[in-house]
Amino acid sequence: MISSLLPRNLRRTLAGQLLALAIALALGAVVILMIDENPLRVFATLMRGAFGDSEKIAGTLLQTTPILICGVAACIGLRGGMFNVGIEGQLFLGGFAAAWVGFSFALPPVLHVLVAVAAAVAAGAAWVSVPAYFRVRFGANEVVSTILANYVAVLLTSYFTIFLFKRPGGWSETPPILPSAYLPELFSFSRLNIGLLIGLALAVATALFFRFTTTGYAVTMVGSAPKFADYGGINVRRAGFGVLLASGAVGGLAGGVETLGVHHRFMEGFAPGFGFDGLIAALLANGSPIGTIFTALFFGALRAGSLLLEVDTTASREIITVIQALIILAVSADLLLRRKGDRTGGRRWKF
Amino acid sequence: MDIAVQLQGITKRFDAFTANDRIDLSVRRGEIHAIIGENGAGKTTLMNVLFGLLQPDEGTISVNGKPLVVTSPAVAIAEGLGMVHQHFKLVPSLTVADNIFLGMEIRKRGLIDRKAQIEQARTLSRKFGLNVDPAERVAGLSVGIEQRIEILKVLARNARIIILDEPTAVLTPQESRDLFATLRSFVEDGMTVIFISHHLEEVMAVSDTITVLRDGRVVATRGKSELSKRELVRMMVGRDVSFDRRPRSPGSGRAVLSVSDLWARDDRRLPALKAVNLSVSAGEIVGIAGVAGNGQTELAEVLSGLRPASHGSALLHGKELLEHSPAEIRARGLAHVPGDRLARGVDGNATLSANMLMGRQRKQPYSRRGLIDWRAVDRETKALMQRFDIRARGPRDLASSLSGGNIQKVVLAREFTAGGDFLLIDQPTRGVDIGAQEAIHSEIMRQRADDKAILLISTQLDELAALADRILVMFEGRIMGEIDGAAMDEESIGLMMAGIDPVAAAEVQ
Repeated sequence: MISSLLPRNLRRTLAGQLLALAIALALGAVVILMIDENPLRVFATLMRGAFGDSEKIAGTLLQTTPILICGVAACIGLRGGMFNVGIEGQLFLGGFAAAWVGFSFALPPVLHVLVAVAAAVAAGAAWVSVPAYFRVRFGANEVVSTILANYVAVLLTSYFTIFLFKRPGGWSETPPILPSAYLPELFSFSRLNIGLLIGLALAVATALFFRFTTTGYAVTMVGSAPKFADYGGINVRRAGFGVLLASGAVGGLAGGVETLGVHHRFMEGFAPGFGFDGLIAALLANGSPIGTIFTALFFGALRAGSLLLEVDTTASREIITVIQALIILAVSADLLLRRKGDRTGGRRWKF
Repeated sequence: MDIAVQLQGITKRFDAFTANDRIDLSVRRGEIHAIIGENGAGKTTLMNVLFGLLQPDEGTISVNGKPLVVTSPAVAIAEGLGMVHQHFKLVPSLTVADNIFLGMEIRKRGLIDRKAQIEQARTLSRKFGLNVDPAERVAGLSVGIEQRIEILKVLARNARIIILDEPTAVLTPQESRDLFATLRSFVEDGMTVIFISHHLEEVMAVSDTITVLRDGRVVATRGKSELSKRELVRMMVGRDVSFDRRPRSPGSGRAVLSVSDLWARDDRRLPALKAVNLSVSAGEIVGIAGVAGNGQTELAEVLSGLRPASHGSALLHGKELLEHSPAEIRARGLAHVPGDRLARGVDGNATLSANMLMGRQRKQPYSRRGLIDWRAVDRETKALMQRFDIRARGPRDLASSLSGGNIQKVVLAREFTAGGDFLLIDQPTRGVDIGAQEAIHSEIMRQRADDKAILLISTQLDELAALADRILVMFEGRIMGEIDGAAMDEESIGLMMAGIDPVAAAEVQ
């Protein structure tokens, strides 16, 4: 059954993405040479930093979790033809909402987690609802509106943290959440928690949803051929609104998982770039939630590996940002090539 | 014999597919030579090879008795060849003269000499009897005039051998007749015309010699007088096909659709439907004739709930259908074969099964409690592929991998089995091969025999003549008049399609 969840043109997709990756790494090697480092050593250190021992692997998976959940959020949007670039903002608000429930209320253990997660989901959905409404009601481009909403979200949570809920003392962070709201950890030696399992389950569930439910079918058709869906009697606007809302909700969930599982409080700028990394992971996986598991793992490994990179080599952690950017460039160039070859047109993103 | 163009053993392959297979063709100077064949027979490929747009894998070309390697269109143009493509390539924001001299502008001190261009364009259009105003902008001109400009472009480059690819596809009957008169005057002038078509009547009407292609091979080259229409079809399709008027018995006559005083706007917010009145009864095919772009698309969209009406009423089974969603109208009995089948009729990137599922995804046995049973969908798709003779490997093929005719059959199969009793059929055979056309016509007649009410929109008059019980002619959003399908008179339909009331025209004469 799993095989039917993978993209139909899997081989071509894989070949294309691997090629993009190779080009990006080659360009990255050039950049590393320019700072007088040995690319092979840098890549080897990266690998060691990401997968060197079980603690390092757990660290990689810890970084992978929010990227994966954000990636699933992006997949949901892409499948319905919506480009939700606001996952970062939804992540921040979801994280804050979960933390707020976590430190403000005293609830029994399991219930506390559920309420906090629900608050995160609701916050993400609420945050995207305004751009979503403008999109379906007035045709406002959701790329622009969700990207702008990110700035507001990040600054809004900063404001809450600094002016309303600041813990006495130095850091810009809220009081810690109660232990009853902690997500259970998986191992004693790492902060890795069941958030990873939530992400994996979500990815599989999303893939199954799109493949086997009538609603998933309708949404897929709206995404891939909106005029056809309209003609066939599917309410294109309602589907678009629902898709953005679901995408935002999952984005909020990612933030909730991060605060409840890792930081146990909300800190200003607590999860920089996870939303964008998730979006890129989803694009790299061609919008397939199952594929996103692997691309998210790749980005998680890059992030985790870069920590050791800074210790063991003269290359700075920013080199990872450069390599990531190169990967994005190479992958989007591949996207463009494929769109050019798609003569039927009418489709903004191809999967 | 004076040969203008000689092709010998031309073979052109695209990967494993052979588009042209050892084609021999010789065109005499001063004749109109028609190349006829179904879609995919290799007509356009052959002409693109001759014009230097494609390079042949084998074979030789000679023009005016001189062997030639046509590496690019520039070489062909230098030898006096000119090609008018199926899809016009004009710049709408420029004037007629600017378009004619695009790429070979007349210059004075480095600047374009617009005056000289207009003057020359005028001389040219007078000389060849192609009436256009060279100072006018192309945007807003009719398709017929655009085609004249395309021909003038070719003439301005001193072409003596003119290739036209499907020139009449977008013209009214009158415009086609004008075009043929022009072509006739060209050959009287000693020029040579090669034209591609799959339209039998016009080939029989205008050409001197006819070459029939099928599956990339030459079936025959004959003088027109040696051929009958029936023979021509048999050579094109490989079997007997009839487009005579279909025999029929009267339907039940129960009123199904009645439209009164319907108005609607197009995408530019201009009135596209003006006071349209019509009715369709069960067991009846009502045809809508007209040149494309005279409101037919908008009519179909309004009736299917895809476009809002600005005024009027449309009753389906006595209940208003305007202001209802496409889903609601479908639930009340509409089945819709859209004119733009690639954008609306299918999702090319989806499988045949996913395409067949559209509109019935919430019905058993295709789904149960919100879960799709893809096996049942595949099974049903396979059954429909068999019944409608859809040529594909299986239900998991992508729709875009099918030919135009087969894609259309996918749409028909889905819509005709959706259970609706009002069929809105827009351009059912546009771009579809003759063999498939006949099958589609038969299926439409079967639906009529099942007492369905059918509104058939078509720009092809022979299609309407074969199928329709009554024909309404649309011009600029209005119904110009009604004609009995059994006694169709091409002349008066043609006048109405051009916006002229035939009764008034007769009085003037």
